[in-house]
Amino acid sequence: MRYFLLSSCLFIVLSCNTAYKSLQMKTGNTAVLHKFEINDSAALLYNTQVDVLNKHLSGLLLMKRMPDSSVRMVFSSEMGLTFFDFAFNKDGSFKVYAIIDKMNRKPVIKTLRKDFELVLMRGLDSNKVSIRGNDSLTYYIFRQSKGYNTYIMNNDATILVSMERSSKRKPVVQAIMQKYTAGIPDTIGISHTTFKFNIGLKRIIR
Amino acid sequence: MRKTLILLSIIVFAISVKAQRAGYSAVTDLSKFKTAFLEVAQKTTTIKSDFIQEKNLSMLSEKITSKGKFWFKKSNQVRMEYSQPFAYLMIINQDKVYIKDGTKENTISTKSNKLFQQINKITVDCVQGTALDNPDFSTKVFENKSSYLVELTPVSKSLKDYFSTINIIIDKKDYSVSTIVMNESSGDNTTIHFINKEFNTNLPDALFSIK
Repeated sequence: MRYFLLSSCLFIVLSCNTAYKSLQMKTGNTAVLHKFEINDSAALLYNTQVDVLNKHLSGLLLMKRMPDSSVRMVFSSEMGLTFFDFAFNKDGSFKVYAIIDKMNRKPVIKTLRKDFELVLMRGLDSNKVSIRGNDSLTYYIFRQSKGYNTYIMNNDATILVSMERSSKRKPVVQAIMQKYTAGIPDTIGISHTTFKFNIGLKRIIR
Repeated sequence: MRKTLILLSIIVFAISVKAQRAGYSAVTDLSKFKTAFLEVAQKTTTIKSDFIQEKNLSMLSEKITSKGKFWFKKSNQVRMEYSQPFAYLMIINQDKVYIKDGTKENTISTKSNKLFQQINKITVDCVQGTALDNPDFSTKVFENKSSYLVELTPVSKSLKDYFSTINIIIDKKDYSVSTIVMNESSGDNTTIHFINKEFNTNLPDALFSIK
């Protein structure tokens, strides 16, 4: 009996994401998240600032939903040189169409893919969600192949407060999308907590 | 023998057609062009111009258009100021490049950054008339009625990563650069059109100063 209790406790501890362990279980509907998905029916252009370690990079990020429902993301310098061209496919797969040699490293591509999947709200599988929260916030925690993508909303589900990508223990990426107009955020920010890597996007109205 | 000659002629014709660019044919007197281009470039001490830049994303059927002002002062001083649809300033002064994007300012020494050194050289070479002698590229020159087309193909791997070719279109009437087309291997390209050009006006040094 003692062993049964011990193993039950261990199971509970291991199955719970410790990053959000202090939160209470809640009920909710993940459909509330959909109104915060980027409405990319038209091509969107963002002025982009990237700070990685002690380097700074700026340019333009073009985001466009293609006829096959994939989302293409092209990041280029102000003078037009393409840094990368990615496709986020509807089935969750990902394709690199172009990337400059200096960025063509597996960890760089993987990090960018995961960061943008978080803000594009990819992988919102309602079968893999755990809803938790406290008096003021509701956390929609989606289990990913590794770690979790969490969307934090106010309890009225009117404000997307922030987004987090976390390991089992702690958030590793925090992101925001703010000042929505017609379903399009004016400002997007992505910030890594374990090393200096920040991406800031400010919409350019064409 | 006759068949061989015909076949050979077809092959030579096919190669020469391929070597040409749409609407252009290979320049007949290269040395005449080089001399005239260099002569005008040597007399040009300053250039002031507006520019329209278009990045064509072929697979996305999208075009990003930006506008701004361009200044050049001999020697080796360039200022490109984008005003629409974003603010971005780049100043090249000798071996330094100053960039201001938004509130961020950055000064880079091209001595410590080979790629910036090469891009700096392309920009200055294009307007200074020395692009034909840039060892980073192999060069071909074409012409039509109104313009010359200088096609630069990168030799070094670092530049090949960015461009498949750079085409400089030079106006025959004044030997000034009217358009620069940067072609990428993906099929995308960026075109910069220079308009409202003014030559040899007085441009203050302050325009090119890097603190």
